[in-house]
Amino acid sequence: MCVRAAAACATALGFCFAPHAPATVVAADHGRVDPPVPIPDIPVRRAGDGASAGLAELLRGRVTALQLMFTGCSSVCPIQGAIFERVQDLLPEQQSAGIQLMSLSIDPRGDTPRAMQAWLERFDARAGWIAVAPTPKDLDRLLDLFGQGSNALETHTTQVNIIDRRADLVFRTPDLPSADAIASILRRV
Amino acid sequence: MIGMWMTSAAAWGQQSSTHEEYVRGQALFSGSINLRGRIYTHVADMPASVVRCSNCHAVADGPDVPLSLAPRLTHDLLLLRRTRRGGPPSNYDRDGFCRLLRRGVDPAFVMISVEMPRYTIDDADCKALWRYVTGGGHQ
Repeated sequence: MCVRAAAACATALGFCFAPHAPATVVAADHGRVDPPVPIPDIPVRRAGDGASAGLAELLRGRVTALQLMFTGCSSVCPIQGAIFERVQDLLPEQQSAGIQLMSLSIDPRGDTPRAMQAWLERFDARAGWIAVAPTPKDLDRLLDLFGQGSNALETHTTQVNIIDRRADLVFRTPDLPSADAIASILRRV
Repeated sequence: MIGMWMTSAAAWGQQSSTHEEYVRGQALFSGSINLRGRIYTHVADMPASVVRCSNCHAVADGPDVPLSLAPRLTHDLLLLRRTRRGGPPSNYDRDGFCRLLRRGVDPAFVMISVEMPRYTIDDADCKALWRYVTGGGHQ
């Protein structure tokens, strides 16, 4: 990717996903995650019926944009929800292309399957956008993995994590990326 | 006598206008009148329901907004000189408040966080919001 294109992209989107850029290791910041980090098969409950599944199992075979949220959050989480709602509209081919959106609750005690389902419905979530919650004992592990750095609900990160079809974390956006930026990344992974 | 009546009428008119401004400010703050706001790295406005001031901020001695990091907006927070975001001591005035809402820079010209939307708001509405948030929750 030429420098000018990268600069234009960075200006337009606030960041840029460059598939052939030199590898850089990214920890809590944003950008390419290299080497990719495998997502463990932590048990999660799904919105709606509360069915149990393994997180990696839900991720494998799809390209996923994952956000951290909780349904009792009135400040940034509604903005996050609105962003994913727009991503859906930008990717009408989403399901057939093996792309999914995942809202991962960081409040497993408060977020019941029903509460998560109501949250999805608030943003007109269609098939291909799921919400899940881990068990409380696995929460810290997930927060470390997705760059949260603390288990305080009020400081939760608004970055979006991009996970490839092998269920490896490959990219992390800046806080509150635009829907266009997320859709662009998802199409390229 | 007529002079006194005119003075009273003028004062009443001003009070009434202040009251209307305050009420409009309250409605803008709570979201019963929509605000246009966007995340500054985005190209489109967010839905009005997700950029309400009251989603994040409490006012004066009003109820808390649970689990929100956004500051409670009080007369003292806004009007007293203090250090904000690592910048030099500063305080808001109406113009500074409107600049923050529109452009995301505080009175010491320090940029606020990305989570705070930038608003497209005209002078009259900005004045109304300022009156509400500096009114201490009272008219």
